[in-house]
Amino acid sequence: MAKILIDERECDVAEGTTILKAAESAGLQIPHLCYHKAFMPEGSCRMCLVEIEGLPKLELACSTQVRDGMKVSTKSESVIEARKGVLECLLADHPIDCPICDKAGECKLQDYYEEYGLFESEFNEEKEKRQKKIEIGKNLLHDQERCVLCRRCVRFLDEVTKTRELGVFQRGVHAEVATYDGILVDNNYSGNLAELCPVGAITDKDFRFKTRTWFLQSRESICTLCSRGCNIYVESHQGFSRFSLPKRVYRIQTRENQMINGFWICDKGRYDYSYLDQERLDKIVVNNSEDPQSWQEITSIVAGEIGRLFHMKRSSHIGLILQSWLSNEELFLIDKIFRNDINIGKISFLDPPEESSDDFLLTAERTPNRRGAKEIGFDLQPADWEKFLEDVDLLFVFASPIKGDTDFSPLKAALDKIEKTVLFASHNHEINSLFDMVLPMSLIAEKGGSLTNIVGSVQGFSPALDAPGNCKPAWQFLVDLAKKLMINFDFYNQFSSPESIREVMKKEIPYFREEHE
Amino acid sequence: MTDKILTQHFGLENLFKIDVYLENKGYEAAKKALTDMKADEILEEVKAANLRGRGGAGFPAGVKWGFVPKDIEKPKYLCVNADEGEPGTFKDRYIMTHNPHLLIEGIIITSFCVGIHTAFIYIRGEYEAVALRLEQAISEAYDKDFLGESILGTGFKLDVYVHRGAGAYICGEETALLESLEGKRGNPRLKPPFPASVGLFGCPTVINNVETVSNIPSIILNGAAWFCQVGLPKDGGTRIFGVSGMVKKPGIYELPVGTNLKEIIIKHAGGMMEGKKLKAVIPGGMSAPILTAEEIDISMDFDSLVEAKSMLGSAAIIVIDEETSMLDVLRRVTKFYSHESCGQCTPCRIGNSWINKIVKRMADGNGKREDLDKIIQLANNMMGKTLCPLGDAAAMPVLSIIQKFRKELESYIPLGN
Amino acid sequence: MSPELTDQTKKKIEEIASRYASKEAALLPVLHLVQHEKGFISQQEEKQVAHLLNIKPIKVKEVVTFYTMFNQKEVGKYHIQVCSNLSCSLLGSESLIDHLKNKLGIEIGETTSDKKFTLMTVECLGACEQAPCMMINFDYFGNLDKEKIDNILDNLE
Ligand SMILES: Cc1cc2nc3c(=O)[nH]c(=O)nc-3n(C[C@H](O)[C@H](O)[C@H](O)COP(=O)(O)O)c2cc1C
Ligand code: SF4
Ligand code: SF4
Ligand code: SF4
Ligand code: FES
Ligand code: FES
Repeated sequence: MAKILIDERECDVAEGTTILKAAESAGLQIPHLCYHKAFMPEGSCRMCLVEIEGLPKLELACSTQVRDGMKVSTKSESVIEARKGVLECLLADHPIDCPICDKAGECKLQDYYEEYGLFESEFNEEKEKRQKKIEIGKNLLHDQERCVLCRRCVRFLDEVTKTRELGVFQRGVHAEVATYDGILVDNNYSGNLAELCPVGAITDKDFRFKTRTWFLQSRESICTLCSRGCNIYVESHQGFSRFSLPKRVYRIQTRENQMINGFWICDKGRYDYSYLDQERLDKIVVNNSEDPQSWQEITSIVAGEIGRLFHMKRSSHIGLILQSWLSNEELFLIDKIFRNDINIGKISFLDPPEESSDDFLLTAERTPNRRGAKEIGFDLQPADWEKFLEDVDLLFVFASPIKGDTDFSPLKAALDKIEKTVLFASHNHEINSLFDMVLPMSLIAEKGGSLTNIVGSVQGFSPALDAPGNCKPAWQFLVDLAKKLMINFDFYNQFSSPESIREVMKKEIPYFREEHE
Repeated sequence: MTDKILTQHFGLENLFKIDVYLENKGYEAAKKALTDMKADEILEEVKAANLRGRGGAGFPAGVKWGFVPKDIEKPKYLCVNADEGEPGTFKDRYIMTHNPHLLIEGIIITSFCVGIHTAFIYIRGEYEAVALRLEQAISEAYDKDFLGESILGTGFKLDVYVHRGAGAYICGEETALLESLEGKRGNPRLKPPFPASVGLFGCPTVINNVETVSNIPSIILNGAAWFCQVGLPKDGGTRIFGVSGMVKKPGIYELPVGTNLKEIIIKHAGGMMEGKKLKAVIPGGMSAPILTAEEIDISMDFDSLVEAKSMLGSAAIIVIDEETSMLDVLRRVTKFYSHESCGQCTPCRIGNSWINKIVKRMADGNGKREDLDKIIQLANNMMGKTLCPLGDAAAMPVLSIIQKFRKELESYIPLGN
Repeated sequence: MSPELTDQTKKKIEEIASRYASKEAALLPVLHLVQHEKGFISQQEEKQVAHLLNIKPIKVKEVVTFYTMFNQKEVGKYHIQVCSNLSCSLLGSESLIDHLKNKLGIEIGETTSDKKFTLMTVECLGACEQAPCMMINFDYFGNLDKEKIDNILDNLE
């Protein structure tokens, strides 16, 4: 351990920590552009210079390691002078078009200019001519005038994707980042570039001019589009009522988690977010028309149906089809209610088919919680549907048919013959019309709970969005239902939140007791 | 014994051929080192000689070699810096053209001392003819068993290759040189780690200037004490001073370290050209802060020049006459650094170009009052704050020219501007 | 100009590459070879070289555009590069450059219409004792004045 002093603030950090990281741990931000946690320090922007007592020159905070007893100043006159010098240079070579720049509001350069009051440039010479708005990828635009040559993008493509679609050409003041021979950035992680770029030099066409960053609320969530469970921020206009906006979610951003996704997410997770807003089912539908009944009434009806069969000892005629879009807690409740308490005969999974994976984050599974289902004890093999549906009188299906990627055809023919069919769904889908009752469900992004990813990490999440319309989290419905069933009332009565369910789940299932987070 | 170490035999015809070189005590130092001396002894001798690097920074060669880790599995490399890009500098070209075997002999001893089996001579791309001459000399040395699998039957193996640069001053900077040798853009590396521990291909690497390495044989043959006595105790040997500009006899002059600058210009280089008066001298390549006519009575060694707030650098002396406008000098200087910045770090990439643009405007007759102060500020933004020393190298001459010739520079600014 | 590199060149490239711990390190020498054969390095050569050294073409372009000696477009049979750095300019390189411009009828960076000459200025050539000086292809010419330049150029085929 090394004891050091940064701006009079004492901090104890491990030997070998860089000054920049040590300062961060002490709550001090040292300006930096080229440095990014994912890469080795490159030392090129020179924004992070600090003063170290006893040394003749300013040193880089991003690469200099602390030594015991070191005294660092991040705000001395010479440090500020140097920082301003760097900013002044960058400003001289920058268009300063913040009013039309998508990065405005989260641009480091803009932040620093503001901090140092440097909007008036003393640069009176001719600016370098560079290109603006060059397409460098399916979703990416490059503005060479805004580029500060931090090379984060090049290093990302070099070290992370190893595709290296961008390079630095020419030298000196003519140096520029560009693609080669018209070959665009084309890999499943390209969207990270726009986020990685500290300025508005690489922008995301998906986000371009759609809204301003400062209108967005950013909330933590977990991506559910495959079973990696990448940590994300869902950024939305939350209850922003001045305009009637066509959608809530404007973009998905990465959230660092070294155990899961590092600093990155894949393009699927980043761009395929429209499902959060589009074609959402947000009403209770009975017999194909919106139903005025409340959730309470509906829950009673469902409980009545189950109770009827249960008391007639016909539980084996209740069928339950699941998808692993459900959280650990929800699957746990389902297991308790339907398998333990009512002991229904038939439970099976109907997950969307596997798709291609890559050798980095994206997995073949297209739902987020197959592993959780397995650890709770479900058999994930799809049933022989014909046999499964043969003597079912009451069928429940929990499905989140995003873009119709699940094959429901084996069910279709049988649905008609079953006395009562109930679908718990998040989206409008042609299959919905075949059910007697369709109940609107919240998505993972709209509720709390936990998921178990492909390698078995259990990750908690809380709502990043409000549930639309009449949508309800499945766990809530399941608790209400169980209480109505009056089979094991006290047990279910203790559940008021996903956390309270998880506590019990931990006690009952060893897997969740252990550290898998 | 004359005081010339490197150029002593330059008068001989065909010195560049191995036979002529051998007739003049050639490769005797290598024989002595490889057969009679231990690596440690060589290192001690070189340390004691206070041989300071001739490439510019003046770092003691022996100390540098000592930084290379001894017991290490990885291969070690020697890179001889023959980039010779510092404006005003042409001395290494003379050594390589006239006495290539002296350099090769120095390479053999250096490599033997440090435990190196592969050496590269990184030579600037423009020196194609010189590179060919080196390659011929190398091939002669292989033929005569001074290079190859088992040099002189001692079992010591060494391969030497010539690697040509391709037009980039920055590749003279040692870490840019390594990048360039690895087939990349010449972007200097962040230090630490230093090349002695992590250099070429990630392996420990010694980088020395041509002249530095060429001094090694004489140190081995004649001893450190002799070497120091030729030069100064703390700065041994001779320097090859390259004089250019407005003198009668521009050229190279090998003289003891510590020779007086005025003496070099007047006595050796023949004094000023007919009818010209000395105005200023750049004493150590373009990066060195300029000296005025009053300041040239000075000993040419590293420490004296540092004391005079300039530097010995590559010992390239550029003599400027009264008729030359300092604004024009400033324009040449700033154009050069703006052109040669690798572009990696902000203050150098943009600062140099900005300074150059201001100076160009001034030279076009559109200077403004505030220009000189702005240049000073931009140069200060670079000084000590860039990734590699090119920032300093660019700032120092600019700052010194403005400081010492401000009045003249101001006189080029139109009144009222 | 043949589109493919000759077998001899390819063999030489292999030989050069064997000197280094990584094939990529042979890039500069190989580019010199290729330029020697082709006169300049176009995208096609970039790709060929990349293929031979097993690196991405974009890396070859990064290098080609960094070093001033690699020509990205065709140059004349005689590539004249006049030093414009300090020692040479002290001794009048500027007027020599003007002289060359007039004589050849081209500006700096241009090639004569018969593709015989390309005129460029360069930074210090490391021959300041012979200032003012220039390079034509790889030959150095020093202590220049107008007459000497006329002589040299008039004797070129
Ligand atoms: C911008 C720059 C250019 C340099 N150019 C050269 C050069 O052309 N030749 C050289 O020997 N050293 C040059 N150097 C110095 C080298 O970085 C290095 O210090 C030297 O090669 C070490 O050898 P020495 O200790 O024998 O002098 C340059 C340094 C800088 C910062
Ligand atoms: S495009 Fe962005 S990330 Fe890439 S070098 Fe420029 S500023 Fe840095
Ligand atoms: S890898 Fe999977 S979890 Fe991660 S962002 Fe992509 S789809 Fe989402
Ligand atoms: S100081 Fe200049 S040459 Fe050195 S790394 Fe920075 S930009 Fe490149
Ligand atoms: S963050 Fe340290 S130099 Fe860029
Ligand atoms: S200044 Fe022209 S060769 Fe050095």
